[in-house]
Amino acid sequence: MEPQTSQTVTVTVNGETYEREVEARRLLIHFIRDDLDLTGSHVGCDTGNCGACSVIYNGQLVKSCMLLAVQADGARIETVEGLAPEDGKLHALQQSFSDHHALQCGYCTPGMLMSAKALLDANPSPSEEEIRKGLQGNICRCTGYWNIIDAVKAVAR
Amino acid sequence: MTETLSPAQPLVVEEGEEQRGFAGTNVPRKEDKRLVQGQGVYFDDVKRHGMGYAHFVRSPYAHANITSIDVSKAEALEGVYGTLIGEEVAALTDPFFQLATPPGAHIKDYALAVGKVRHVGEPVAIVVAATRELARDAADLVEVDYEPLGAVTDARRALDPETPVLHEEAGSNLSWEGVYEWGDVEGAFAEADHVVKISELHFDRFNSTPLECDGAVVEYNRGTGQWTIHTNNQFPGFAAIMMGPAMRTGLDKLRFVTQDIGGGFGNKITSHPQLVACCLLARKLHRPINWTEWRTEFHLTMSHGNERWFLDTEVAVKADGTLLGFRTKALDDAGAFLRYEPLGGVIWAQVTPGCYRWRNVRLDFTQVVTNKAPCSPNRGYSRMQHLWFTERMIDIVAHELGLDPVEVRKKNYVKAEEMPYTTPNGCVYDSGDYARMLDVALELIGYEGLAERRADAESRGKLFGFGIGSTLDSGTNNFGQSRLINPELQFSGNNEVATVKLDIFGEIVVTLGTTPQGQSHETTAAIVVADILGVTPDDVNVRAGHDTYWNSHAGFSGTYASQFAVTGLGAVKGAAEKLAGEIKKLGSVILGCPESELELADGFVRMKANAEAALPLMACGAIINANNAGLPEDLDVTLNARYVYRPPFELPDVERKYGNLTLTYAAQVHAALVEVDPETGVYEIVQYAAIDDCGKRIHPQIVEGQVMGATAHALGAATHETFTYDAEGNLLTPNFYDYHVPHAMDMPPLKTGYIESPSPFTALGTKGMGEGGGAGIHAVCAALQDALAPRGRPVVYDSCNPYHRVWELLQDPEASRRRVEVISK
Amino acid sequence: MLLREVEYVRPSSLDEALRLLAADDGARPLAGGQTLLNVMKARAAAPDVLVDLNAIEELKGIDLAPNGTLTIGAMTTYTELLEAAETKARPILGEVAATIADVQVRNRGTIGGNVCSNDPTNHLPPLMVALGAEMVIAGADAERTVKAEDFFLGVYLTAAGPGEVLTKIRIPAGRSDGFAAVTIGADGTCIVNAAASLNGEARVAIGCVAAVPVLIRPGGRDADAVRDAVRGADLDPPSDVHASGEYRRHLAEVVAARAIEQASARS
Repeated sequence: MEPQTSQTVTVTVNGETYEREVEARRLLIHFIRDDLDLTGSHVGCDTGNCGACSVIYNGQLVKSCMLLAVQADGARIETVEGLAPEDGKLHALQQSFSDHHALQCGYCTPGMLMSAKALLDANPSPSEEEIRKGLQGNICRCTGYWNIIDAVKAVAR
Repeated sequence: MTETLSPAQPLVVEEGEEQRGFAGTNVPRKEDKRLVQGQGVYFDDVKRHGMGYAHFVRSPYAHANITSIDVSKAEALEGVYGTLIGEEVAALTDPFFQLATPPGAHIKDYALAVGKVRHVGEPVAIVVAATRELARDAADLVEVDYEPLGAVTDARRALDPETPVLHEEAGSNLSWEGVYEWGDVEGAFAEADHVVKISELHFDRFNSTPLECDGAVVEYNRGTGQWTIHTNNQFPGFAAIMMGPAMRTGLDKLRFVTQDIGGGFGNKITSHPQLVACCLLARKLHRPINWTEWRTEFHLTMSHGNERWFLDTEVAVKADGTLLGFRTKALDDAGAFLRYEPLGGVIWAQVTPGCYRWRNVRLDFTQVVTNKAPCSPNRGYSRMQHLWFTERMIDIVAHELGLDPVEVRKKNYVKAEEMPYTTPNGCVYDSGDYARMLDVALELIGYEGLAERRADAESRGKLFGFGIGSTLDSGTNNFGQSRLINPELQFSGNNEVATVKLDIFGEIVVTLGTTPQGQSHETTAAIVVADILGVTPDDVNVRAGHDTYWNSHAGFSGTYASQFAVTGLGAVKGAAEKLAGEIKKLGSVILGCPESELELADGFVRMKANAEAALPLMACGAIINANNAGLPEDLDVTLNARYVYRPPFELPDVERKYGNLTLTYAAQVHAALVEVDPETGVYEIVQYAAIDDCGKRIHPQIVEGQVMGATAHALGAATHETFTYDAEGNLLTPNFYDYHVPHAMDMPPLKTGYIESPSPFTALGTKGMGEGGGAGIHAVCAALQDALAPRGRPVVYDSCNPYHRVWELLQDPEASRRRVEVISK
Repeated sequence: MLLREVEYVRPSSLDEALRLLAADDGARPLAGGQTLLNVMKARAAAPDVLVDLNAIEELKGIDLAPNGTLTIGAMTTYTELLEAAETKARPILGEVAATIADVQVRNRGTIGGNVCSNDPTNHLPPLMVALGAEMVIAGADAERTVKAEDFFLGVYLTAAGPGEVLTKIRIPAGRSDGFAAVTIGADGTCIVNAAASLNGEARVAIGCVAAVPVLIRPGGRDADAVRDAVRGADLDPPSDVHASGEYRRHLAEVVAARAIEQASARS
C-alpha cells in the first residue's frame, strides 16, 4: 500500500451504502454534506469545538470535522437523517426535543440529537450530570441548554 | 432542573377579554418537524449546478496601505473560476451610504478594501473555485503587498493628535458625537447630599456568535438583471437599501430568499458588503457563487457588539437614597467601519433612565473608529451597554453609601401606577411593575435564606455574593431616532407586512416579511391567524422564511430589535382580520344575512344564531378563485389580504432630542448567587433567577425559551466571552477554542418567573422581547462585587469578569477603588 | 478551515507504518486527529503524507502486570482508558481522561497523540511526568525507552522524532495520585494544571507554565512545602488572553498544593 492523494471510499450511512472517489484532504463533514448531499449535519466552527457536525461512527459519537473521509472507508455512520424510524414518525428524542422546546434555530439540533442518542444508547438512565457531560461537546447559542437537558431526561428511563 | 413559577395573581394593567383560542397556549412548534429531522434549509444547503465556492483573501494587518495585489497565480490554478479585487469593486460600485454626519459621512466603505486595510481580516480579494478546498488553496496564491501603519486599538486614544487616522477622507477618527441633556442636571447636583464619582467603567466587546456563520448562494440572471440571494442576512430591508444604490441597481433586482437561519441575534445584519462582492462575482463569472463564512472569519470581522467606555461619571444622590440624576461621557468604539453605526449613538436613549425615576441626565456621546472589527447590532444593541452602566451606577452607589441594593431599587424604580411613564427624553414606558418583578426574583433566588447560604459557602472557604440586574428590552424602533444622529436622514416610523390568503381548496396561507432565526414566527403567526379565522394552528400554513418575490415586505422588514410580537404579529393580525372581514362579506352574500350576524368558528363562516347556516372556508376559497359567476359586481372580495402594520410614531424633536423612540418596553429582573474561590479567583454561579415581563404571551414556552437563551448569552458575556485585541490590532480570541462560550456543564440551576403587563399600545397587548438577557451581566457583576466586599471592597468596573480579573480585584482592591470617589455634603 | 492537499495511507502493522514514515520527510503519524486535523485546518502545519495509525493492533490494548505495572498502547483512546478495567489499578488515569474536552474528543483522541503533540495546556504530559511513566519509542532500527521527564523537549516537541512512533506508555504501580487544574469553563482548556504523585518520593509536575512540564520534588508533603518548592522553581509562565504570567505563577502554587493534597488523601 502506498500513500494516495485521493481514493475510493465505501461508506454506509443510515443503512445505505455509498461509493465515492474522494480527496484525502476532504473532511468527513464536507463529504457527508457536499458529496452525499446529507445536509442535516452542520458546520459551526473551524477548531473542532462546536459539535454541530457530530455523527455516530462505528457506534461511537464523533465530530465529523475531525475525521477525514478517507478514514471512513468501510465505516458505518449514523446521521440525523436516519433517526426517525420511518416516514411520518419521529424518534423519541426528536419528539421530546419538540415537546420541551429544546430547539429554536435548529442549527445545533442534529448534532445535539446524535449526542443524546449516543448517550442513551450507552447509558439509558443517565443522571442530570451525566446528561450535561454527554452534551458537553455540543454548543447551542439559542436555548441555554436547560430545555435540551430536560428533553433528554424525559426520554431517559 | 429549571423551575418556572408564576406569581399567584399575574398582574394585568387592564381587563382584557376572556382568553379563548390558542393564544397563550403552548401549541407544538411548526418549525420543529423539519428541524429535528435535519431537513431545515440553511443557505449552505442550497446547491446549484456549476456553483463556484468563494474564499476571501484577508488582511493580516490591522492598518496598512495596499501597495499591490497580484491574482495571476491564483487564477492560473486549475479549477479556479476567477477573482475579484478592490480596484474592480471601486469601478463597478459606489461607496455604501453612510448614516453619519461629517466626519463619519466621508468614510468610503466598499465591498472589498480599496487601497488600504483597516482591520485584521478585512477582505482584500476573493477567489472562486470548483471546490471549497481549491478556493482556499488559491487564496494563498494571491500576492498582496502591504505597507503597515500604526494601529489604533484604544478608543480613549483615538482622537489624540498623534494617533493615526483610519479614513483620510474623514480626516479624523471621530464617527459621531452629540450631547444629550434633559431635566435640570446642575440643579440635581446642587441638591445632592452625595455625589458618587466613577472615573471609568468599561463595557466589553463580544457578540452572540450564532452557531451558523454568515453566507450566501448568489445567482445572477443575465436576461433580467435579477440577483437571487439565498442568504441568512436577518434584515433584508436594510441590506437592500445599502446594496441597491452601491450596485447602481434597483432594489427589485435584489431578491433575498431565506428559509432557516442558524441564529442571528443582530449579528447577521451587516453582511451586505460581502453580499455585494458575491453579486459582482456571480455576474462576472457567469455562475452561482457559494460564500460560506468560517468561524474564525466571523470572529475576526463580523458584528462585534459596541464596546463602550463610561468616563467621568457622576451620580447625584440624596441622603435618603433618592437618585436625582447622573452625567457621564460615553465613548463608543465602533471598529473600522460604520455599517449600522452611528445609530448606537442614539438607540441607548430608548432607555435613558433605565428602570428608574430620575429626571436629570447629561450624556456626552462620542463614537470613534479603531482598527478593530466593525461593530453592528448585538442582542441588546446599545441599550444593554447603557443599562449595564445604569445598574453599575446603582450598585456602586449602594456599595459606597451603605444602602441596601434591594431597597435603593425599590425606592427609585418607576412605579406601576406611573405607567405609561414618560422618560426625561420623551420615551414612553408602556407598562410594567419592576418592584413586583424584583419581589418575585428575590423569592426565586431564596433571599430569605441567603445568610445561611453565605455561612455555608464561607465554611467551605468560599466568598459568597448576591446580585441583582434589572433591565429593559425596548422593542419596535421608531426609526425617526436616526435623525437625532443625522437630521438629513429620511427614515422614520417602522413597519412590517404579512399576507393571509384563503386558497381554492380552503388552504390558509400566510407569508411574513420577517427572517426568523429561531423565534418561532411560523408558530406564533399561526396562533394569531387561527384565533381570528376560527380554525386551528394546524390549518394555517405559514411559509417558512422570507422571499422578496412574495411581495410581503416593506422598508423595515426583517427580524431584529425585539419586535416580532408587535410588528410581525400586528401585521398578521391586520391581514387576518382583513381576510376575516372579506369572508364575512362573502358569507353574507351567500347566506343572505348581515355580516354582523356572522361568526368564524370551527372552519366555517356561519350565522351566530343558527350554526346550520354555514359555509365552510373551503367553499369560500373555491367560489372566489374558480367559481365566481353571479357574484355582485361591487363585491370587493379577493380572499388575499395584505396588511402593513405601522406603529403610531411621531417624528422626534431633533433639537431637544426628545420623543418616543420605541413602542414597547419589556422588562427583566435577574438575580444571581456566586461563590468565589479567593485563592484563585475562580467563581461559580450557584443559583440564578430570571423574571420576565413582555406583556401578553402568545406562546409561553417560546417566550421562556427566549428568556433562557438571552440569559445564557449574558452569562457567557459576564464570565469569559470577550473580543480582546493586542496592541497591534490582532484579535486574541478568533475562534471557539480561545473564545469560550457556555457549554451544557457551565449552566447554573435556573428558576424563571414572569408577570404579564399587557402593552396598551399594541394590537395584541404583546411586547417585543428576546433581548432582555443583558440583565445577567448586570446581576453577575453585582454578585461579584458583593462577594469580594470583605476583601477590601473592590469595585467591579468591567462587564466581563474572567477569573484573572477577579483575581486582580482580590489582589489589589485599592486599584479598582481608586476609580470611585464619594463627595458628601 | 480546509486542508492542503495531502497523501494518506493506513497501514495495518507498525513495521509498515515505520517504513512509510521513513520514506518521506514530510510524513507524519495520524493518531486521534483531534489536534492534528485542527492544526492542518489552520494550515499551521501541513504534512505531505498522513500515516494513519488507527488500524495498527500492536499499538492498542492495556496490560496490567502482576506487579501492578500498566502498559498502555499509544493508540488507546481516552474513552478506552477511562472504561478499561485495568486502568482502575491507577485511578488517576481515568479520572483525568474523563475531564478532557468532551465525549466526541475522548472517543477518538489517544494518549499517544496527547503526549506527542505536547501542547503546553494538555493534561497528560504533566501526569505522565508525575507518575514516573516510561515512554516506549519505535524507530526504523530499534525500540528505546525514555523516561517521561526526559520525553518532553519543547512546545509540540518530544523525544519521538521524525520517523519514530510512540508505541506504549508504561506506568508503575501506585495509587497516591492527585491532579488539579484551573480551566476555562467546565472540562475546558487548562490555564494551569498540576499532577502529583506520592508513591515513594513526592513528585509534582506543573503544566501550562513552560514549554514542557516542570517537575518539582518538594521537601515535604504539606501545602507550604509544596508552595515553597514551586516558588523555588522560578517559573516564568507565558501571558495570554486568559492569564498573565504572574497569575499563572500564582495558580501554579495553588494547583500544586491541591494536587499533593489529593494525593495525600489517597495515601
